[in-house]
Amino acid sequence: MRHSPITTKRTDPLRAMGIIALNGMFGEDDTDGVIRKAVEMFGRDLAVVSSFGADSVVLLHQVAAVDPGLPVFFLDTGKHFSETLQYVTDLKARLGLTDVRTLVPDSKDLERFDPEGRLWENDPDSCCHIRKTEPLNAALEGFSAWITGRKRFQTAERGILPHFELTGDERVKINPLAYWGEDDVAAHKKAHDLPEHPLFADGYTSIGCAPCTSAVQDGEDARAGRWRGLNKAECGIHFDFNGEIAPAEVKNGPVLFKKGRFVADPFKPLAENANLKGVRYVHVPLSKVKDNLAAIRQNPHPLGLLIESSDRVEDVAGELDRFSSVAISFPAFGDGRGYSTARLLRERYGYRGEIRAVGDVLTDQIGFMVRCGFDAFVVANDATKRALEAGELAEVSVYMQPVGLTEVPVGTRPFLRKPGKPVTRRP
Amino acid sequence: MYRYDEFDLGFVSGRVDQFRDQVRRRIAGELTEEQFRPLRLMNGLYLQLHAYMLRVCVPYGTMNAPQLRKLAHIARKYDRGYGHFTTRQNIQFNWPRLQDVPDILEELSEVEMHAIQTSGNCIRNVTTDQFAGAAADEIIDPRPVAEIIRQWSSLHPEFTFLPRKFKIAITGAPEDRAAVRFHDIGLMAQEDEAGEVGWSVYVGGGMGRTPMIGQRIRNFVPHEDLLAYLESVLRVYNRYGRRDNKYKARIKILVHEEGLATIREQVDSEFEKVRGGILTLPEEELSRIRAYFAPPQFVLSDDRFNLADLKRNDAGFARFVEYNSHPHRQAGYTSLTISLKPIGGVPGDATAEQMEVVADLAERFSFNELRVSHEQNLVLPHVAIRDVRAVYDVLKEYALAEANVGLITDMITCPGLDYCALANARSIPIAQDLARRFGTPERQAEIGPLKINISGCINACGHHHVGHIGVLGVEKKGTELYQLTLGGDASESAAIGDILGPGIVAEAVPDAVERLVQTYLGLRETKDETFIAAVKRVGAVPFREAYLAT
Repeated sequence: MRHSPITTKRTDPLRAMGIIALNGMFGEDDTDGVIRKAVEMFGRDLAVVSSFGADSVVLLHQVAAVDPGLPVFFLDTGKHFSETLQYVTDLKARLGLTDVRTLVPDSKDLERFDPEGRLWENDPDSCCHIRKTEPLNAALEGFSAWITGRKRFQTAERGILPHFELTGDERVKINPLAYWGEDDVAAHKKAHDLPEHPLFADGYTSIGCAPCTSAVQDGEDARAGRWRGLNKAECGIHFDFNGEIAPAEVKNGPVLFKKGRFVADPFKPLAENANLKGVRYVHVPLSKVKDNLAAIRQNPHPLGLLIESSDRVEDVAGELDRFSSVAISFPAFGDGRGYSTARLLRERYGYRGEIRAVGDVLTDQIGFMVRCGFDAFVVANDATKRALEAGELAEVSVYMQPVGLTEVPVGTRPFLRKPGKPVTRRP
Repeated sequence: MYRYDEFDLGFVSGRVDQFRDQVRRRIAGELTEEQFRPLRLMNGLYLQLHAYMLRVCVPYGTMNAPQLRKLAHIARKYDRGYGHFTTRQNIQFNWPRLQDVPDILEELSEVEMHAIQTSGNCIRNVTTDQFAGAAADEIIDPRPVAEIIRQWSSLHPEFTFLPRKFKIAITGAPEDRAAVRFHDIGLMAQEDEAGEVGWSVYVGGGMGRTPMIGQRIRNFVPHEDLLAYLESVLRVYNRYGRRDNKYKARIKILVHEEGLATIREQVDSEFEKVRGGILTLPEEELSRIRAYFAPPQFVLSDDRFNLADLKRNDAGFARFVEYNSHPHRQAGYTSLTISLKPIGGVPGDATAEQMEVVADLAERFSFNELRVSHEQNLVLPHVAIRDVRAVYDVLKEYALAEANVGLITDMITCPGLDYCALANARSIPIAQDLARRFGTPERQAEIGPLKINISGCINACGHHHVGHIGVLGVEKKGTELYQLTLGGDASESAAIGDILGPGIVAEAVPDAVERLVQTYLGLRETKDETFIAAVKRVGAVPFREAYLAT
């Protein structure tokens, strides 16, 4: 069967409804019920991911009560506090967990991207990516669902977290502690006499890797000590391409601008000799798609399409549904072929997924791009980043001609012209 | 003429704000010159030899008196007291300061003017017949459709970063006064079998270093499909026009390399998909725009000139009437061309004071209407024949009554090396020398209609390719030389001039032209056979011999 690409709208509706129904089955505080249901539904297809951080013990305790044999993944990034590693050993024994699996980064990745072990200093996103996201993606390959300890109160981004969450890659994420508050956590620890992370007493309320974790002050968000000063709230493993639950806010490093803000980019560059049957979250050049149609069709993962300015979108018109993102390349500011490509994608081929502009993208083009159908922008220029952040797009908001699908309710407005939205409009 | 509604006002003032911010960013160093360049160009701001140059759009060459007065004000306040009218029916200011440009644009917006798309690789100002809406031979007034094209093409999001600039010309008369076959797209009014008026479309014309005559790509496009058809052509050009070499990036090269048949096939295929869609022009909209161009309240009269009488009694005025008036569709009226080619002056230049005088005349005698012609003259389109004398008297007082329209001293001339960073040679002094050589009324009358066009480099802004005699400035080993061409024709019988021989120095140009003129005078069959007609009849050989016989 050909695998569907992943976007919000393309998620199997029955599956999505099933998730909604599941979320309705359990009371907010029915942690045990949620875990039992997950085990019942997924059996050995289910894993737990734990940071063995400040609050992890609560989830692990609850899980152990239901099934101490569930695989528990711990990401040993090589950058943890020694206290954390000790805590892993301690909890394993205390809770009787029989299948704690330690995931380590790919040594080749470390050699290539972080030979000195200091990547976190200038590019924490990439550091998280090779030390957490990549190993976890690989480990979760064989699982349909995973249990996390995320809670609504932790950050603003997690404010609408449900018990059961359908993620972009069609796995189910289960968040049994979604509704727990800080006090509930403390009370649970106390009632069951659970051991604290050794650093908790020193003010560490959320604990990750040593270099990127600091203590938080009273009144601060519990995760405020993570990546302090970097305007980064999530490491990437909880990023959902649908962007519905918790897109990470990123301003340094990745520069994907979408829906009015900078978000972490799930897409990565396509490795030269990558196997097109197995890659995920990469934009495959149109010429490669044409030459490897079978492999692309067999690939079950989310994929993007890269259209260079000299490519003809007509050549892959039949395959467009398969891609959740199309990147249109602007090799130079003045090369305007991509505008026609975007209009054809939207207006002629009815493509509804993400269309992102990559390459020489400046603030002065973005208004035009939005009108032609772009909804995401990979921005490198600093002034442009600032302008986007401030919502100050250099554009004229009165349109003299109809373009696109949404601007043009045929026969319902004066011909040719229509006022744009106010200048504060953001893509 | 067209009046802005709230959309246009919002559009233009939005653009002023946008550019003010871009200028601020440039001055603050947030934009490099390289990044600023395409932005300023889209607002008509060039960097020339000595200063910035601002090109202000005169949509399809149509203006009213307050607009011309505003241009005079800008010339006085922000420039050196004059402006230069161009072959694109626009006006250029040669000395604005960068920090003043946002203010200039704001002042322009007060009279519904702007500099949008007078430059850059986008769809430029649509040009047309300077006698549109007035000419006796007109099938249809092209201005409403020109206005609709202006609206459609203004900041078109898909076509703002084309391979190269894109020029559209449109004419509603069988006599082509807009040189439509030398534009990227040329539109000529055409009647179909049912008597419906629509448009015959030419594509791939142009001058520059590779002059080409536009070829007819479609015989007939009805009004309602015109924008869809234009969008189809533009899309094909945007996608497939060459971007690897700016000298081969115009659509004429695409048409030339791919062949008209291929381009027609691509355009037709695109047109089939977009026609009948959102760009279909409803009849009501066309009528709405047409209403802006309704004929003025003419006073019924059967006045006509009695040229023979005038010639006996008032030779100067008679010459003015003979050469500077153009037949009007309305009895009792004429269109008067105000020549900006005084003998020894700078072709196309007008002082602030002259602009104000012309604005007053337009208000008093031409229903507040004015035109700029691509020959770099001004036009009062609707003057009652009984008022012509009064107009002439005022013009005379301000050195604007030169009676030379269509004659040998009515030269199209680019700014050349006196201003332009691209030029190889000066153009203006050549025009001045030629005007002095041939400038007496008797001499000009004897020679009759003859177009001399002068460009200071191969970019051909002075339209030398279509001059009956063309003069092209080139540079050879540090010397400015001039090549002469013969037989160019911008009219409906379009032709590109042939080079006569090796380049000559500036001082030799008047003599060389003199020999060509003498050759013509010697071989014309009657006094009515014009220079270009004679050239077409006998060919270049006698002229080439005369040119080479130093």
